[in-house]
Amino acid sequence: MAARTRLSLLVPKNLPPFRNQRLVHNEAAVREPAYPPVVPSLTAKSKSARLRQIAEQVKKIRGSSVEDKLSLITRIQREKFVVYPQTFARNADRWYQHFTKTAYIPGLPDRFPAAVERPGVDERSTSAGAPPAVPGIDDGAFADIRTLVTRVILQERWYMEKQRRLFLYRHQERVFGPLLRTLVSALTCSLARYNPLLRSSSLDLSRQVNFYWRRGQRTIPKGHRRGRLEPIRFQIDDCPHSQIRITQQLPQFTPLEASYSAEVPEVTYRPDVMPLFRRQYENLIFTGAKLPDPACYGHTQFHLVPDRYHRDRMACQQQSDQVEVFLRANALASLFAWTGAQAMYQGFWNHEDVTRPFVSQAVITDGHFFSFFCYQLNTVALSVETDADNPRKNLLWGTESLRLYEGVQDGEVVGLNDDVLKLLVQFLMNHP
Amino acid sequence: MFIETAQCMKTAAVLLSLKDLNRLSVRGGARRLFSSSRCLSAKIRPPPQRREKVEIPGLEMITYGERMHYVPGLSKPVYPVWERSYKDPRYYKSPPAEKMKLYKDTPCYIFNPRSNVLEGVRQAEWLTKTKRISGLPPHLLSLAENPENQLPNQDERVQNAIKHARFWDTTEARPRKERYSNTLLLNLLHLCATLQSSHPAFGRRMLSENCSIAATWRRGEDLFQVRGQNSLLYSSMDPLPEASGKTETAETADHVLETFYPVSPTIDLQKVHVYKEEFNSTGFKDDYPYPHAHTLYFLESADPHFKLLREQFRAKMIMFTFGNALARAHRLYGTQPQRVLDRPITVQAVGTNGRIFQFLVFQLNTTDLSGDDGIKNQMWLDEDVELYDFAKVRPLIKKKQVKVPAGLAGYKPEVFNKFLALYLHGAV
Repeated sequence: MAARTRLSLLVPKNLPPFRNQRLVHNEAAVREPAYPPVVPSLTAKSKSARLRQIAEQVKKIRGSSVEDKLSLITRIQREKFVVYPQTFARNADRWYQHFTKTAYIPGLPDRFPAAVERPGVDERSTSAGAPPAVPGIDDGAFADIRTLVTRVILQERWYMEKQRRLFLYRHQERVFGPLLRTLVSALTCSLARYNPLLRSSSLDLSRQVNFYWRRGQRTIPKGHRRGRLEPIRFQIDDCPHSQIRITQQLPQFTPLEASYSAEVPEVTYRPDVMPLFRRQYENLIFTGAKLPDPACYGHTQFHLVPDRYHRDRMACQQQSDQVEVFLRANALASLFAWTGAQAMYQGFWNHEDVTRPFVSQAVITDGHFFSFFCYQLNTVALSVETDADNPRKNLLWGTESLRLYEGVQDGEVVGLNDDVLKLLVQFLMNHP
Repeated sequence: MFIETAQCMKTAAVLLSLKDLNRLSVRGGARRLFSSSRCLSAKIRPPPQRREKVEIPGLEMITYGERMHYVPGLSKPVYPVWERSYKDPRYYKSPPAEKMKLYKDTPCYIFNPRSNVLEGVRQAEWLTKTKRISGLPPHLLSLAENPENQLPNQDERVQNAIKHARFWDTTEARPRKERYSNTLLLNLLHLCATLQSSHPAFGRRMLSENCSIAATWRRGEDLFQVRGQNSLLYSSMDPLPEASGKTETAETADHVLETFYPVSPTIDLQKVHVYKEEFNSTGFKDDYPYPHAHTLYFLESADPHFKLLREQFRAKMIMFTFGNALARAHRLYGTQPQRVLDRPITVQAVGTNGRIFQFLVFQLNTTDLSGDDGIKNQMWLDEDVELYDFAKVRPLIKKKQVKVPAGLAGYKPEVFNKFLALYLHGAV
């Protein structure tokens, strides 16, 4: 073209400004593309076709209703690691933190004033003029709650004449199971006066909680798909002793951005090493009730430590250090599953991350010792493609085990710790 | 087993159906007919008669004991019975009933949770010397009509509770019957218990599970006991007010109890000769802070291996309510039979199978139950009340027409009002 019109080879950088003014008003309208966009094929046997298939699937899931989303995400069954919240594996809490991208923060969030460090000191230092430890409940009401708890403990351990039948490894279930159940229902109903959420709550006893997710990837070592990359799938099937489900969501403990700086331990080994085993069965996502239930948010879960993991037995096996680890792992897995299922019931999933944090609480007890945990789910996007530049982390706060009472003697509860009771009441009083 | 018998069994199993085999075999180790023909009602041959062993005193039997092996012609050695000198619980044989410490000649008839009495409610009335009135007392029903005593959004919340129990409680399509009946009862109880925020008197009550009850009384010449575990007991610090006035109570003296001759009133009760006399226990120690029984909750499918018909289920409710009332009466007034109690003891009961409810209010007026005359106890029984008609996961379609839609159909709010009234009784 330059040859025909004899343009100089040196084209000036800044052409005179008004040169093409006559063309401005005559510009043609934006033209429709004459051909469809050039995208990779959908059915070819190529990597780009596979990527396009995945993109189409993601688009399909994004555009469907929540029920369809759940069924599309859990449709295909493949081998997955079954994560047990109550596990015998050593240092399971670090592994579970890695699987669920959770950071552990010792102590409780600011909403719960100073968690009990040394029970004896706190009791002596409270004076008559001090403000009530539990906001919203005055001393008289707290005394009533204290009497109620004492009566529940005494009813199950002292007053009721029980048939003494022999059973092996069912002591916790037979002795402390009913006690915890009565305690939970009695406390929920008596605190309904102060906490409006509990008035419309739903109490589930031994109902399952399930969650299915993907995290990380591995190279398939053997078989006809050898060498290809495959996401690692996990499933939690939990059965808490009891749980309280509510109709409104609990407020967040910290803003989403505060979790960016938290540290999640990185485990470089395969999950098999933990030990963790794979199975293939139905992928379930369940909070305790199906989707149409109005009480779709979680408040508090209560777990009972089974005989197998009781601290006395662990002490016999010289694994006393694993007691706290077991409790943390249990809380982590159970609460992650519960909050994750709650988030999925609201339509958030791997490629559509949560816009607001989901918060739940848990209390794990073996009858005498109580441990309190709070969980904030900040992200559900845990798979490889979505986690690459996701700075959010989930957070777990937890206490060590605190003794509620020493024992029952001659119709009296010996050594009832008021601070632990206050913490329990504060947990149940949590509301927006 | 001989080869021929094994072959007969195989051919019998092939030719006979399972139902026929069941009909022939009787529990308790009776003889079975393993014939290979189809003739099922054939006479079962009598068991083979063993030869009688004749003991001739003074005759020394030559046995093969010393030779340590069987020798044809010699008799079998008889060794003395060996008994362990120590106690091993794995190999303990209990002595026969006559030799037990608590054996008595006169039998005792026990009503346990698995009793399936023939005459149902009539038998329970006769055993407990009770006059039956259909329907709940009217002053009780008016308790729940008062809007102050009702739950906020009551209908919606009860319907949600039913839907949760029937549809939403499981990952499968529908929960099984024993599961949904249990969940429904617990959900309804939880709903009532949330009223504690507006009715502080509910703080003086406590729910307990699996506590055992024992009560003994004489009726005619026989001794009766109610023993067993309650599924759910709601007890209270304060006794329930009386359900009927003194005049009506006095009028029951003229009432004649219904007998069902020739059937004996002790039919289908467990007859034992080994029992503790005067065994009365409420299931709790004497200084229990909630000594008065308020309501008992019964589930029809509590024991999955054992099903009761409605009539028998109502009889079980009556007997256990009576047992709880009687045990507490014995504790308060002593075990001597009292003609008239100063303060009649009232206990309520609710039984359900997940859809159909039975309501019972029992008032114990007398513990003198040996004769048929005198003041009787009273009970108000509201039977077979349906909370809802259908709760279907998939609609019922007959001839391309929807007969019953999917979801909850035919909800009746007055039934929950009755449930709530029984719960509120005594606190309002």
